[in-house]
Amino acid sequence: MAQLTARFRTENPRYAVEDVPFSVPAASETADLSHLINKLLAARGADHKYVEFDFLIQGQFLRVPLVTHMEMENISTEEVVEIEYVEKYMAPQPEECIFHDDWISSVQATEEWILTGCYDQTARIWSLEGKSIMTIAGHTEVVKDVAWVKQDSLSCLLISASMDQTILLWEWNVEKNKVKALHCCRGHAGSVDSVAVDCTRTKFCSGSWDKMLKIWSAVPTDEEDEMEEAANRPRKKQKTEQLGLTRTPLATLSGHTEAISSVLWSDAEEICSASWDHTIKLWDAETGGLKSTLTGNKVFNSVSYSPLCRRLASGSTDRHIRLWDPRSKDGSLVLLSLTSHTGWVTSVKWSPTHEHQLISGSLDNIVKLWDTRSCKAPLYDLAAHEDKVLCVDWTEAGLLLSGGADNKLYCYRYPATASDVGA
Amino acid sequence: MEQPLELESDDDLTDSEESVYSGLEDSGSDSTNSSAAEEEEEEEDEGEQEEPSNGAAPKVKGAPRKSKALGADPPLKDSEGLSVPDEYEEDSSDEEDIRNTVGNIPMEWYQDFPHIGYDLEGKRIYKPIRNKDELDKFLEKMENPDYWRTVQDKMTGADIKLTDEQVDLVHRLQKGQFGDVHFNPYEPAIDFFTHEVMIHPVTNRPADKRSFIPSLIEKEKVSKLVHAIKMGWIKPRKPKEDTPTYYDLWAHEDPNSILGRHKMHVPAPKMKLPGHEESYNPPPEYLLSEEEKLAWEQQEPAERRLNFVPQQYRCLRAVPGYPRFIHERFERCLDLYLCPRQRKMRVNVDPEDLIPKLPKPRDLQPFPTTQALVYRGHSSLVRCLSVSPSGQWLASGSDDGTVRFWEVCTARCMKTLPVGGVVKSIAWNPNPTICLVAVCVEQSVLLVNPCLGDKLLYGATDQVLESYVPPEEERVQPVQWVTATSEEHSRGIRLTVQHSKALKQVTWHGKGDYFATVVADNSNMQVLIHQTSKRWSQNPFRKSKGLVQCVLFHPIRPYFFVATQRYVRVYNLLKQELTKKLMANCKWVSSMAIHPAGTDGGAGTVPKVMCGVHPVMDVPFPPPGDNVICGSYDSKLAWFDLDLSTRPYQLLRHHRKALRSVAFHKHYPLFASGSDDGTVIVCHGMVYNDLLQNPLLVPVKVLKGHTLTMDLGVLDVVFHPTQPWVFSSGADGTVRLYT
Repeated sequence: MAQLTARFRTENPRYAVEDVPFSVPAASETADLSHLINKLLAARGADHKYVEFDFLIQGQFLRVPLVTHMEMENISTEEVVEIEYVEKYMAPQPEECIFHDDWISSVQATEEWILTGCYDQTARIWSLEGKSIMTIAGHTEVVKDVAWVKQDSLSCLLISASMDQTILLWEWNVEKNKVKALHCCRGHAGSVDSVAVDCTRTKFCSGSWDKMLKIWSAVPTDEEDEMEEAANRPRKKQKTEQLGLTRTPLATLSGHTEAISSVLWSDAEEICSASWDHTIKLWDAETGGLKSTLTGNKVFNSVSYSPLCRRLASGSTDRHIRLWDPRSKDGSLVLLSLTSHTGWVTSVKWSPTHEHQLISGSLDNIVKLWDTRSCKAPLYDLAAHEDKVLCVDWTEAGLLLSGGADNKLYCYRYPATASDVGA
Repeated sequence: MEQPLELESDDDLTDSEESVYSGLEDSGSDSTNSSAAEEEEEEEDEGEQEEPSNGAAPKVKGAPRKSKALGADPPLKDSEGLSVPDEYEEDSSDEEDIRNTVGNIPMEWYQDFPHIGYDLEGKRIYKPIRNKDELDKFLEKMENPDYWRTVQDKMTGADIKLTDEQVDLVHRLQKGQFGDVHFNPYEPAIDFFTHEVMIHPVTNRPADKRSFIPSLIEKEKVSKLVHAIKMGWIKPRKPKEDTPTYYDLWAHEDPNSILGRHKMHVPAPKMKLPGHEESYNPPPEYLLSEEEKLAWEQQEPAERRLNFVPQQYRCLRAVPGYPRFIHERFERCLDLYLCPRQRKMRVNVDPEDLIPKLPKPRDLQPFPTTQALVYRGHSSLVRCLSVSPSGQWLASGSDDGTVRFWEVCTARCMKTLPVGGVVKSIAWNPNPTICLVAVCVEQSVLLVNPCLGDKLLYGATDQVLESYVPPEEERVQPVQWVTATSEEHSRGIRLTVQHSKALKQVTWHGKGDYFATVVADNSNMQVLIHQTSKRWSQNPFRKSKGLVQCVLFHPIRPYFFVATQRYVRVYNLLKQELTKKLMANCKWVSSMAIHPAGTDGGAGTVPKVMCGVHPVMDVPFPPPGDNVICGSYDSKLAWFDLDLSTRPYQLLRHHRKALRSVAFHKHYPLFASGSDDGTVIVCHGMVYNDLLQNPLLVPVKVLKGHTLTMDLGVLDVVFHPTQPWVFSSGADGTVRLYT
C-alpha cells in the first residue's frame, strides 16, 4: 500500500506529538489517523483517554481518504504533508423541543431565556428548560422578529417587530413576570421583517418590507414622540388600539429598491442590511450614509456577521450560503459558498465563540452546522424539523436554537469539543 | 565613219538578183539574223519604215529594183554574207529611208503618178511596170509556188519573196515568241547583292572626305537651333504618351473564381483499373472454381460481379485475342455518351445548420429553475392565482370555495376567505395604491379587500370605496352592484357585482379602476367592462363574435384584447373600433398574455444593480403590448408580434397537453405556460427595442412538481412582479413557487 509522509501538528498543547515526519498509508481516513495520534499520545503518557480528532490539510477538513483529498486539492503527495489535527467537534446534543401554537418566525436567546416570535401574533419568553414564562401579546399581526435589548436581574427590555408595521418595545419585569409595552415604534409602511439592537444597547434598527431601514432609540422614556398623522385618519381609533407611547425613528435610511429582509449591526457604527433587491448594503449609522454595497444575484433572506472572522454570511433564495468580506474592495466579494442545502436558506447565524462555525436553517427542513474549513459538507445536519426552518440562533453558551413552520423550537447543546464538556 | 565604208562595200559587192536572194537564203546564220529580221519587219509594217537602219535600207531598196530589173545586186549578197555585223548599223531611227525620200507619208498619194517617190539624187523612182491583169495574177498564183511568200514593198512597189528564215520569223512573232531563235529569256540570274556576306566588299571605296570634315552649313544650322533653344523659342518636344491604350477584358475577373465552364465541368467517369483478376496469370484465389464458374454462367450478365472469367495462361505469348474488346469499347463509349454531364443543383445542408442558433439557457439567467415553496391548504384544485403588485402576497382561488391569501416568502396562508362557490378567476388590482382583489365566484364578482400590506393603503382603499355617491337618476345596467353586508365586510368583501350568468374571467385595467368580466354565455353580453369608482358597468359589444375565452386590457394604451376560440381581436376603446384581428392558428385559445415591458414605471422598478448583473436587462424596454402570447387547448403557444403580422410570429409546441395558462414576467424577459401535462415551461422571450430585430424566444426550463389529478395538471401560472419567480397552481390543490 502506498505510503505518504506526514507531519502532525496541533494548536492544543495537550495533544501535541513529536514534530517528526510519519509515514502513513495513503488511503487512511480520519478514523485511522485519529487512531494513530491516540496511539502516539498513549505511548507518551499513560493516563491518556481516547480522543477523536479531526484533521485539516491546508485549512481544509479531511473528509475522504487522504490521497483522494490531496488529489482533489492538488497537493503533491511527494512531499511531506503537514496535517493539523484538532479535537473532533462533538455532535450537538438535542436538549429541548418547545412547542408553539403557530409557526416560529424568530428566536433569540440569552443565557437564561429564550425569546421567540410567533405567527400567532405573540412573542414568547421561555426558560432554557423549555418552560413557558411569558406570552407577549399586543401585535395585531404576525410577529416577524424579536430581540433582547438589555437584561438585568429585575427587568428586561425587549423588542418585537411585526407585520402590522410596528415595533413594540417591551419591558419585562422578571420578578413579577409582568410585561408592559413601553413604546410603539411607528413609521414603517410595511411589514417589519427584521430588527437588530446595537452593541451599546441604546439603539436598534429595523428593516421593513417598505424598503426602508430605520434607526430607533431603545431607551425607554416617558414622552411620546409627535407623529404627523394623516389628516383623514381617525385619531381616536388609533389611540385606543395602540399599546405604549408612540416612538418615531431617529433616522430613516432609504436606498434599497426592494424589501429589506435582514438587518444587523456589524459594529457600533455600522449597519448591515440584506434585501430582496439582491444587495447587502452597509450603512454608517451616525451619518446615515451608504458605505458600500455587496451585490449578489439572488434575494437575500438572512445575513449574519461574525466579529471574530469579520465575515458576513448570507442565506438567499437558493441553496447556497455565501461568505462575504464586507471590507473587500476588489471584485470578488463572495469568499466562499457553502452548499449542501436543497432549499432556500432562510436563516444563518455565526457562532459567537468560534470563528469558523455557523449554523443555517433552510426550507428543506434541515439545520446545518458548518465549519468554513469544510465548505463541501457541513459538520452536522440537524434534521429534526418536519417543516420549513425559519429561524436559527446560537448563544454564547453554546446553545443552538431553530424554529420553523412545524411550530417547534429545537434546542441543541453544542459543546465545542469533548474536552469542553468535561471542563 | 564605218557606214559609208560599208555602203561602199555593199555597192561593190552587189552583183546579181539571184545571188542576193540566195545570199539571204544562205545567211541563216546568227550574225545576220538581226538585220534580216529588221528587213522583214520593215516590209511588213509600213509604220516602222523609219526603223530600218541606214545600212540595210540601201540593200533592200536596191534589191527590189534589182529583182524587177533583174539587175541583181551581188555585192549585197556578199556583204550580207561576209560583213561582220555592224553594231551601229541601225543605230538611229531618225535616218530617213534613203531609197525613197518622200518620207513618212501615205503611199496612196502617189497612186496616180507613175513614180512612187524620189531617190537621194532627187530622181523619180518609177513604179514597177504593172501590166498584169487578173488573169495574169491568177496564173502566177497558180504557177508560182512562192506566190504565198511574195509581198510588195510599198515604198518601192517591188515584189519581195520572203526567205524561209523570214517566214519563220513571221511565224514566231505571230506566236508572240522572241524573234531570235537563240535568245534565251530565262537565263539564270546572277545576284550581285546577296544576303551572304562576302569577304570582299562590292565597293571598297575609302570614306568621303566630307564625312569627317564638319559641315559649316550644318554647324550654322545647329548654332541657330541652339540659340533658339536657349532663347526659349523652341520647346523640347513633349514626351510622348507611350502607355499603350488597350482594354483589359479580364481586369475585373477574380483569378480565384471558378468560371462557369470550369464549374460545370464534369469529368468523365474513370474506368476501373485492371486488377489481379485481369492478369494473364492471376493468383489462384482469383480463378473461378467449377461451381463459381457455373454460377457465373447462370447469372444474368448484368448481375455478374466480373464480366469475364479470369483465366490463366502459361505465358504472355499464349494469351489469345480478347474477344470482348469491341463490345467493351462500345460499352465504354455508351458510358461516356450517357454520362450525365450536368451538375445536380442540390444544396448539401447540414440539418444542424437549419436549426436557428439559440443562446444557451445558462446564459439567459435568471429564470426559475427549482421548486422552492409549496403552498398547501386548498382541498381542491386551485384554478387561479394572482400576486399583489408589491410581490408580498399571493391570492389563490380554488374549487373548494375559498380564496386564500399567502405570504409569498414563507408560504404562510395569511387569510382564508370562503366565498361559497368555485372561484374561476381572481385578479389583484394592479394599482399599487389600491388593495383590492377581484374574485369571480359563480355569477358575481367579489371585490375583496384582503387587508394585507400597508394599513394606510388598505384603509385608503376602503375609504375610496365608501366615498361612492350614487348618481341621482338610476341607470340601467346589465349587472347589479351590491354593497357587502357587515358580515361580508368583516370578511373583507366590499362589493359584489352580480351578473346574470356564470362568470369565467375577471381582469383589471392597468390603472386599477376598470375591470372586465367574461360571462360564459354566447350572446353579445359576454364581455362587460366595469368601473369601480362609479360602480358603473357597460357592455362594449353589440354583437357576439363567438365564444369569448378571455379578455385583457392593454397595459397602457386604450386597447382591449378579446380572445375567442380561434381569433384574438384587438379593439380600440377610444375609437370604438376593431384595430386588429389575430389568427391564432390553433383550434381553441385558452389563455392570453400581453407583453408588459415598460408598464407602471417599467424599468424603473427593476433594481439598477440587477441591470448591471444581467446584461440582457440593460436594453431599454420596447413599447409594451406589441407582443401577445396565446395558449391553446391543442397544446400550442402562439407568439404574436403585432408589428409583424396578424399571424403568429412563432408557434411553440413544447407541451404535450392542453395549455391552461400563459404569463409574462413584468420586467424580466420571461414567459411561462402551464399545461395539463403537469409542467410549467419557462421561456426566455426577449423583445428588442430595435424594431428590426425580431423577438428571441428560447425555452429555458421545464418545471415539474404538480401531480396530475383528474387529468389536469397546472391550471394557472403567474410570475412574481419583481423577482424571476413563477407560481403555478395545480389540480392537486397546491400552489408552487419556482425560483
